[in-house]
Amino acid sequence: MRSRMLPSLVALLAILDVLVGGAPAIGQNPPASPTPRSGGVLTLAQREETPQGFAIHETSTVSTTWPAMPCFSNLVLFDPRKPQESADTVLGELAEKWSWQDNYRNLVFFLRKGVKWHDGQPFTSKDVKFTFDMLREAPDAQGKLRINPRKDWYANVVNVEAPDPSTVIFHLKRPQPSLLLMLASGYTPIYAAHVPPAQYRTACVGTGPYKLKEWRKGEFIEYVKNPDYFVKGRPYLDGLKYVIIKERGTRVAALQAGQVQAAFPGDTSKTAAEQLKKAVPQLVITGAAENVNENVIMNTKKPPFDNVKVRLAVAHAIDRRALNQAVHQGGAAIGVSMPSKPWGIWGPAEATLATLPGYGKPAEEKARAKKLMAEAGHSPEKPVKVEIVTRAIAVYVDMASFIVNELKQIGIEATLKQIETAQWHAMATRGEYQIGANLTGIGIDDPDANYYENFACNSPRNYTFYCNEQIAAMVDKQSGEIDPRKRLAIVLDIQKKLEEEGVRPTLDWRVDNFAQWPQVKNLVPHNNFYNYGRLQDVWVDK
Amino acid sequence: MKSYIAQRLVIAVLTLFGMSVVIFVLLRMAPGDIVDVLFSAAGYVNPSEKQAILRELGMDKPYWRQYVEWITQIFHGDLGKSYRYDLPAWQIIRPLLPVTIELAMLSTIVAVALGVPTGIVSAVRQDGLLDYAMRVFSLAGLSMPSFWLGMVIILALVSWLAWIPPLTYVRPTENFWLHAVQFMLPALAVGYRSSALIMRITRSAMLEVLREDYIRTAWAKGQGEWAVVWRHALKNAILPVVTVVGIEFAFLIGGLVVTETVFNLPGVARFLVEAILWRDYPIVQNLVMFIAIVVILSNLAVDLLYGLLDPRVRYA
Repeated sequence: MRSRMLPSLVALLAILDVLVGGAPAIGQNPPASPTPRSGGVLTLAQREETPQGFAIHETSTVSTTWPAMPCFSNLVLFDPRKPQESADTVLGELAEKWSWQDNYRNLVFFLRKGVKWHDGQPFTSKDVKFTFDMLREAPDAQGKLRINPRKDWYANVVNVEAPDPSTVIFHLKRPQPSLLLMLASGYTPIYAAHVPPAQYRTACVGTGPYKLKEWRKGEFIEYVKNPDYFVKGRPYLDGLKYVIIKERGTRVAALQAGQVQAAFPGDTSKTAAEQLKKAVPQLVITGAAENVNENVIMNTKKPPFDNVKVRLAVAHAIDRRALNQAVHQGGAAIGVSMPSKPWGIWGPAEATLATLPGYGKPAEEKARAKKLMAEAGHSPEKPVKVEIVTRAIAVYVDMASFIVNELKQIGIEATLKQIETAQWHAMATRGEYQIGANLTGIGIDDPDANYYENFACNSPRNYTFYCNEQIAAMVDKQSGEIDPRKRLAIVLDIQKKLEEEGVRPTLDWRVDNFAQWPQVKNLVPHNNFYNYGRLQDVWVDK
Repeated sequence: MKSYIAQRLVIAVLTLFGMSVVIFVLLRMAPGDIVDVLFSAAGYVNPSEKQAILRELGMDKPYWRQYVEWITQIFHGDLGKSYRYDLPAWQIIRPLLPVTIELAMLSTIVAVALGVPTGIVSAVRQDGLLDYAMRVFSLAGLSMPSFWLGMVIILALVSWLAWIPPLTYVRPTENFWLHAVQFMLPALAVGYRSSALIMRITRSAMLEVLREDYIRTAWAKGQGEWAVVWRHALKNAILPVVTVVGIEFAFLIGGLVVTETVFNLPGVARFLVEAILWRDYPIVQNLVMFIAIVVILSNLAVDLLYGLLDPRVRYA
């Protein structure tokens, strides 16, 4: 199962893993039972209709990955039982084993034999090539996605070769250890080559542990156990039912009444968790990072934020800890562009964090911000007037309202403008804003996924349009670095540099309090809510 | 009467035509479209990919052509295809209709069953203790939004009984009892609010009629309270109540959004809001037209009931 990676890499990652430790829980993890039992149907809450059906490759939201993951399999997947994801917790799924070759330029997968799609067709390396050629938008790709949000993840892949039905080789331009982690994300299922990609918007043909039984639009998604699943004895459950409950209060009531046995990932705030625990003491609440951060986007192509001093003033002005208390009742984690321990493995330590803009003592930070504003030519008598945009969703508006108040204290008068979801990304991508309050979710806790998606010069998600060749070179350098210690050092430098340039200041990292009934076993929340939805090991202790 | 109905039907067709134009134009005036929403779920926008999807959905055509195509499709019994689900709109809309119609009807029955008797009692016992109690009861109903009441019902049930009604639609053929429970609670929440309005209208209409000469004559003839109130007064006071009931029913078809959301019922109103947020034009257009048809038909039914209840209307 385990790959034949270079021993040094494994050793160093293991050290990292030890340093990181497990994700802390405010409650407790569900107790593992030595004798899992088969049978039963697990009912789970789903906060909204899945936006694009089961077409995971065409969306970037947990509202799709969570209910669609049980249908699919990846080549590799993060160990469902380990809460902290890392290169060391990657397990084979459709790939039985894998091997880095040619000094990390080729990644070879040896596939399981005898795997069948839900419609009975055999799974082969052609399906893998089909999927990744489609994702890379290779010239000879057999399939095409109408929306392809993660094309940049595979920019380093030159070719995907399928020399025989059970072998696939990824040829890379340069070494990229992160590729394996990207392949382990819930965002990276293998599609069937014989099924048109558009069909996944309405139905699902996968190789996963559960087969789609019914999708009643706006009501529920129901799965039954896949009797031909390639892991013997799995899944334990006879089926899954995701009940779509739009109203948050009703979702909480449904969990409390036991009509759903597990919450939707990212749905339970600290306050809600405390209330739930009070009402139903036996509920199991587990603290888990979402890998979603709250950040400030500033358009570096438009005044006044084309001036680094004004951007830095904003970064200094916002008291992260006060925001955490006011908006999240202390339930979020403070950190910069990569989450810090214990929620992530790449962020700076507390001591380093305190030296970065905005993370010192609030009064001193405000004074620095005012000084920077003065240096930029702005005075309290002549305040800068800007419009701050945010999505018309409560979590965004709460954060934006706090920012407005903080900016006012340093002479920036911001008026809040709420943008409907239908316009938000179009507006941000076109740069039709000055400053905004934003949320960013990242598929894996990895610098490549974050920096190429959100900070690379030509990325459509680089909403700030900040482009710095020096930082771009550093991002490429860390991406190709095989030695984890050296890579971590470069990533820490990048984070420092980004903060000093006032690029998209991170305000906090959201932390979920995943709630489930105690009879649900082996449903372990990870430090990233996009990746633990397969549920093949989950069982219900009736 | 026949010519009256024919005249009303002609007006109804013209109204529907006007509605179709208004909803078509308003939807396209709203900023953003389905493709923007699709890209929102992906976190970015690519202009060339956007154009390709617009072409695929036929949204690159001139507006007038899109309108003509929609109307032509309706005349051919085809409601078009949902942009969001890539399925025929009728396939999406069909399961929603019985849910909303049943909820609206049950709510109306609850409203009438609560509102009319309390209105009558309140009028007959004007300024008595019972009247004050009924007026407080109705004022409370008007002041409490039905969604709030719905949420209070849910919270009370979960707190006291650790139970809430089923969250996925239970068909009456599957389990009639569970189906009834699933619908009665939202019907009570919505019906109570509507009953308050009906009670107040009934009361004021009854008070007016009870002061009429023919009522005094009925009392003078020695008729009992039951006969005076039910046979003479109520029959003449009921017309404004029927109007209000008709309006309330029509309103409920499209106005149950929050109640359907709170009780997680897959009805028209909740789905309509979703479709508007998704800019799923075929679904929105057809659902709005459906609501317009219900409004027109319920108005027509009220007008016809006038004729049945009041001979003066029939012979006019």
